[in-house]
Amino acid sequence: MTDVLQVENLSISFGGLKALDDLSFTVSDHEIFGLIGPNGAGKTTVFNCVTQFYRPDTGTVWFAPGVDRLVRAGHAGTDRIDLVGQPVHRVIRYGLVRTFQNVEIIPELTVLDNVLIGGHVDFRSSMIAQMLRLPRARAEEAQYREKAREALRFLSIEHLADQLAGGQPYGVRKRLEMARTLMAEPRLIILDEPAAGLNESETEDLADTIRRIRDTFGCSVLLVEHDMGLVMDVCDQICAISFGKFLASGTPVEIQRDVRVHEAYLGERDDA
Amino acid sequence: MYALAALGIILVWRTSLVMHFAQGSMGMFSGTAVAFVLNRTGAPLWASVLVGAAVAIALGFAVDFAVIRRLRRATAVGKEIVTLGLIMVFLGLAPILFGTEPMLLPKAIPDGALTIGDAYLSYNGLLNICLGVAIAAGLFVMLQKTKIGLAIRATASNEQTARLMGIPTRRVTVLAWAAAGVLGMLAAVMIAPATTVTPTFMNTVQVTALFACVLGGFQTFYGPVLGAYLIAVAGNFLQLYVSSVWGEQLLYLLILLFLLVRPNGLVGKTYLKKV
Amino acid sequence: MSTTFTAAGRLARNPHVGYAVFGAALMTLPVLAGSGLMMTSTLMTVGFTLIYAIVAMGLNLLLGYSGLISLGTAGFMGLGAYLAAYVQDDLGLGFWVAVLAALVIPTVIGILVGVVSLRVRSIYLAIATLTISEILLKTFEQAEWFTHGTAGKQSHYPVILGVQADRALVFGIIVVALVLVMMLTHNIVHGQLGRALHAMRASEVAAQAMGVNVLTYKLFAFAVATLYAGLAGALYLFFLKSSYPSTWNLFLSLNVVAMVVVGGLRSIYGTVVGAFVIFAVPELVLKRLPVIGDVAGLPYIFSGVLIIVVIMFFPQGLRGVWDVGRRMASTRRPVSAPVDAARDEVAAR
Repeated sequence: MTDVLQVENLSISFGGLKALDDLSFTVSDHEIFGLIGPNGAGKTTVFNCVTQFYRPDTGTVWFAPGVDRLVRAGHAGTDRIDLVGQPVHRVIRYGLVRTFQNVEIIPELTVLDNVLIGGHVDFRSSMIAQMLRLPRARAEEAQYREKAREALRFLSIEHLADQLAGGQPYGVRKRLEMARTLMAEPRLIILDEPAAGLNESETEDLADTIRRIRDTFGCSVLLVEHDMGLVMDVCDQICAISFGKFLASGTPVEIQRDVRVHEAYLGERDDA
Repeated sequence: MYALAALGIILVWRTSLVMHFAQGSMGMFSGTAVAFVLNRTGAPLWASVLVGAAVAIALGFAVDFAVIRRLRRATAVGKEIVTLGLIMVFLGLAPILFGTEPMLLPKAIPDGALTIGDAYLSYNGLLNICLGVAIAAGLFVMLQKTKIGLAIRATASNEQTARLMGIPTRRVTVLAWAAAGVLGMLAAVMIAPATTVTPTFMNTVQVTALFACVLGGFQTFYGPVLGAYLIAVAGNFLQLYVSSVWGEQLLYLLILLFLLVRPNGLVGKTYLKKV
Repeated sequence: MSTTFTAAGRLARNPHVGYAVFGAALMTLPVLAGSGLMMTSTLMTVGFTLIYAIVAMGLNLLLGYSGLISLGTAGFMGLGAYLAAYVQDDLGLGFWVAVLAALVIPTVIGILVGVVSLRVRSIYLAIATLTISEILLKTFEQAEWFTHGTAGKQSHYPVILGVQADRALVFGIIVVALVLVMMLTHNIVHGQLGRALHAMRASEVAAQAMGVNVLTYKLFAFAVATLYAGLAGALYLFFLKSSYPSTWNLFLSLNVVAMVVVGGLRSIYGTVVGAFVIFAVPELVLKRLPVIGDVAGLPYIFSGVLIIVVIMFFPQGLRGVWDVGRRMASTRRPVSAPVDAARDEVAAR
């Protein structure tokens, strides 16, 4: 088993406040990896450092999406790259896709069009070819439409494909976002609090969906989540952090037994 | 004088986050009012300026009450477009109210000049510079030392928090608009003697003031003032020694190039976007 | 939704057919003018309206999708006009080279300005274009060899494919250009490009995460806007056969903004309507009104007040009014999701 993501010694501070302090963890291939921590622990910051929205002060973010992916993204002859310093919009080219905590969809476009945006980086037609609607651009468009429909079918919302995304209920929007990540042929999907705002049965569905995505697309999933039930249910490995520092890592069972994790969540401290 | 217009823009930007494109034309409007009072009634300059100040304050109030305040829900872009609309309204209103004939405004000090090396500086120019510095300094003192200044700065740094802390942010915003109006008017009165008072005579001022903000950076109050004086000096220098026709254009291009090197301006800081 | 403006468009499944029919309808106007049913001055006004519709289409792409304001429209349009005249009359290179020059050179300058200003904050583009416009205006006044200064540059109707054009033919060219621009804009908006632009408008952050290079797309939108402006400038010159520096002032740029805002953001036919309201209505209606018709500043106030009122009450422009009306007629339910969503999106900026 190889590692798709290796975060090493990540640190970042905002105005003197250390948001992340020397954090390291590793996500393996085909693994569902949970990142947990109490409020303000820096989960989202980790996330933003991995996806390059923030540039970490120190540390590396090794990403190994497979040689063919790297060749396609223009990095032949290497099996992993350091994401730090890459422009945000390039990250997805390596097969690293994310969803957003507060679901970012485009209300004025149809569900299908929203999904199609996920395939943006793989569109080969030039701007000019698209402006003039050359046959090649049209063929490519048709091909991606079919792919987008498949992604919607996978998440059982294909029947909504031609409706406007803006009017859809929250659950559908969340699925829509997931379908969008599938368009980029992901190697690693980062889900930012996917269970937020879902009820119990929806959360169970979600767990099932996450597993199906992993099994069908052979990718890894990095789950940043509050809902302990979901995390313990689906994750193979979990990393717990608190105040930007590494706390513990292991399987769900190990984490549940870990004293440090309990302390961090309950705020108890025997001694300093 | 550019400094004053720039200060007006930055004041509005910091308090209501609107890029005030109408600063020049509002200044033009009240400046024209000054010229109108002066030319028609024969009132002395200081009295006309007082009238102009009243007009400027009234305009600032009117704009904030009637338009800006109701745009809370609109985008920043929407608000900016509205200030563009305001330009047109003022450009259209001025000739209707004050007539279409170009008017002249006298200098406060009619003649006399200071010679420093090759450069001449009229006493009036000197007065303008001193006035500009004095007003800018006065504003800084007000911003730093008084309660109102504190309120403005608090609103500038975070409106929501300021409101929660009991600062009447609405009043602060109105005040900023009115103050910007007066600053614009003063800038207009200072510029006017060098040209004739027509609806477009403040265009250059608008452009220069915006550029002063760009050059100085939008984060501080003193940056734009610094930028304005720098632009004025550099502009004169270029016109004197390089080309009287192309000097100004050259300066603008230089500032654009400057943006490549220091995108956030002279005293600007980068800021982190929250995701 | 854009097809609903013409009955023919509703029938045809392909929206491009709608644009072509729209163009064909406009083509009948010179015939009307030729037979004396319509005043030549009215034809001129319509012609200029269509030219402004082309410019506004470009700005609509910019403003509607990237939320960027360009205040340099007039400058780029003027540059297109002078370039066309210079290449056609002074260099004698003919119509096609003239059009090409008017397309390419403003676009290149536009891209340079965009590269410099867009890296920092979106609003810098407005300031930079305002400046470039002022620089260009001064250049128009002072570069005598190029523009004949304030005396104005005189030109002629072009010779196209060996045919000496007249007013009606140039009008036809304008219509063809407009239809092509509408089709091109439609293609941009409805393909992957458009989706990327939409993504950027909805959330720059999310767009970046999906691989959209925000800077590239802002530049793209701005480049298209200047391209259209250059084209419109050339058409303007061929239609009027002269160009004066005073035409290309800030007021024209503002008017184009007004056309976009009034017509409705992201609406192709709306833009044409906006151009008509802002340019043709003052020309055809306001100037003929008794008493106030003679007041010089009236069109300014008209545009300015319209901008403010539309932004305050109809953020979607005339298209918004149209949509609201249609929805009320069909369901009798208050305007809900899309408008609110659009507002939220707008508020999130």
